[in-house]
Amino acid sequence: MRKLFAVIRREFMVRVNTRAFVISTVLGPVLMGSLFVVPMLLESRDRAPKRIVVLDAASGEFGARITGALAAARRGEGADAPPRYEVIRVQSGVGNLAPFDSLMLLTGAKREVPGALVGLVLVTDSAIDTGRLHYYGSNVGSLSEMGDLQRTIRQAVIAERLGREGVDPSVLARATAPVSLETSRVSNGQLSGESGESSFILAYVMSFLLYMALLLYGTQVMGSVVEEKSNRIMEVLVSSLTPFELMLGKVVGVGSVALLQLGIWTGSAKLLTSQRAAIAGMLGAAPSDAGSMPIPAISGSLLAVYLTFFVLGFFLYSAAYAAVAATVSTQQEAQQAAMPVTLCIVAGLMLMFGLLDEPNGTLARTLSMIPLFAPFVTPVRYSLSPLPLSEVLASAGMTGLGVLGVAWVAARIYRVGILMYGKRASVAEIFRWIRTG
Amino acid sequence: MPEIVVAVDRVTKRFAGHTAVHALSLQVLAGGVFGLLGPNGAGKSTTIRMIMHILEPDEGRVTLFGGPGTGRELSARIGFLPEERGLYPRMEVLEHLIFLGEAKGLRRRDARERALRWLDRLGLGDWGRRKVQELSKGMQQKVQFIGTLLHDPDLVILDEPFSGLDPVNLQVMKDVVVEIARSGRTVLFSTHIMEQAEQMCDRIAIIARGEKVVDGRIADIKAEGGTRHVFLSFASDGAKAAPILADRSLVVRADDSGATAEVELVVGANPNRLLRALVDAGVGLNRFEVAEPSLQSIFIAKVGQQAAVAPAQETVHA
Repeated sequence: MRKLFAVIRREFMVRVNTRAFVISTVLGPVLMGSLFVVPMLLESRDRAPKRIVVLDAASGEFGARITGALAAARRGEGADAPPRYEVIRVQSGVGNLAPFDSLMLLTGAKREVPGALVGLVLVTDSAIDTGRLHYYGSNVGSLSEMGDLQRTIRQAVIAERLGREGVDPSVLARATAPVSLETSRVSNGQLSGESGESSFILAYVMSFLLYMALLLYGTQVMGSVVEEKSNRIMEVLVSSLTPFELMLGKVVGVGSVALLQLGIWTGSAKLLTSQRAAIAGMLGAAPSDAGSMPIPAISGSLLAVYLTFFVLGFFLYSAAYAAVAATVSTQQEAQQAAMPVTLCIVAGLMLMFGLLDEPNGTLARTLSMIPLFAPFVTPVRYSLSPLPLSEVLASAGMTGLGVLGVAWVAARIYRVGILMYGKRASVAEIFRWIRTG
Repeated sequence: MPEIVVAVDRVTKRFAGHTAVHALSLQVLAGGVFGLLGPNGAGKSTTIRMIMHILEPDEGRVTLFGGPGTGRELSARIGFLPEERGLYPRMEVLEHLIFLGEAKGLRRRDARERALRWLDRLGLGDWGRRKVQELSKGMQQKVQFIGTLLHDPDLVILDEPFSGLDPVNLQVMKDVVVEIARSGRTVLFSTHIMEQAEQMCDRIAIIARGEKVVDGRIADIKAEGGTRHVFLSFASDGAKAAPILADRSLVVRADDSGATAEVELVVGANPNRLLRALVDAGVGLNRFEVAEPSLQSIFIAKVGQQAAVAPAQETVHA
């Protein structure tokens, strides 16, 4: 046990105690932070209401209605929130588009130019029937702004249509009052307090973290075995440690580094997102600018399931990487030989995306029972829809068996392979090692 | 009769294409220095790997300390320096030594104290915090040597320990080996340089092409050769000695190195005949000594000159 711990400790310290580790660990949260601080700053920079012209070439109150709706749009909630738009209505008379060209000249001009516009909404009577309006603007690239604009205008068009059909304005007001759908996740009859959207984000982030950990750290297990072979320290090691101790120590040591780094990253991400209103305040932006991405709330049971499968997946794939490394002598050969393992990891992530729509379908249930893919699939399914405990345990059990199987085969390949130098082992040779080992 | 520390019993190891070790038996007794001698490719490293249980013999068995344990199971009592030297280049020297000690089952604190003591002793006291890759090759070899001895093993197995060392470091390491042997522990080392073995070993085994040629106490092996060997050292006109050394009625074999020569006389020949012939020929002599044969000449006599060249390098195949 002490020997095993010495190997784990060495593998852990040799990685944590490097500048590269410190830099990447610090850089992660900095990058994550900038991911929402930068847009926040950009947004608060142009907090001034956007000047929009409504070119009203329609009859009746249609133009006025749209102008009113736009002028009433607020950035954020509450009556005291700043208005989104500064709206100017240009009435040109029914069907007259003559002012269009001169207005276009001002659209997208620099702020300093007198009369500069951000955009131009063209309102004609035909829109009532076709439901098509046109917006010309410098900000059409912003999905969120276009979404808001479309919602606002659509409400106004619906109101105008109903009004023209003679619906009472007070009924109209009630009918067009905004509607929003809020989603809540229920598992086992219990409200879990997570919204559907945050479940999805959580699932996505979790699988991606596993994927990254496997590619970044699983390959480190491989590199470390190849290094020991190529600098010939292996004989000293195997004269006092069993190949299994060496392999297990490596996998656990490197895995702990992965957990430490990912733990720091997730911890700081959580801190950053929960404190984003405060950070926005420090940077002089309004809390409402801090974005509306839901904070994924992770429940204790989900965390337990996730960590279980993370550890199982890491063991499975890094044992496979260690075995691959034992059959080669150089890093270049290792990259090639590891292709099948890497492909399985990529496939695991891809399959996970494939079952987001139907987390309880036959495909999803089958994949949960395949040890190679279960580490990606099962936690995501668990986060998306209630899974019976028995199914989670069955999946973990299968994966556990898979880990033992891979470790058994890997240990046999490893035992012979680590003392073999020179040419790369053929597939036939590897099978012989496994049989006779 | 002292304890038999290493018993190799009719061990055979075959690799694809050739037999590296064939029906080899050896006994290493407790205490003293045992030399495993042989040309490159004779099977020395393969034998040592089997003793250490890194390789499994195809036939025969290896017994350590008279019990059932394998080299790895008994690794707390064995220090092993393989022929293939290697350290983790990016680890600090002291950390590395602590790790090697822990791998042998030492407690961390204990390993650290011992490592510091050894580093001081071998003149590397200031290098503990440096990375291995910053050290010269000779220094790295010393670090490895320390790693082998850190846990005070009863049996020290060194595969070609002195190759590539400069004279100063060579002397330091030889002193350590001698000291270990004097303290009652056992050293088994392999070499292809006969002079080293002659200086340090009590007992030797010479192997060639995977088979044992001779073994026993050096003194006995030499005595067996009788006192028919004459060591010459030329002061001048050494070339004039050549025809005399080629006289097969007087000389069986001569190993003429130019400035010195070792001559084996015909059985019953009087050494004075050789001396007179050399003086008459006008050869200037610094040394004329009748003595037991050197290991080198025993080796060549037993193995034959051609065996000094190996058929193939020792490599590990599955």
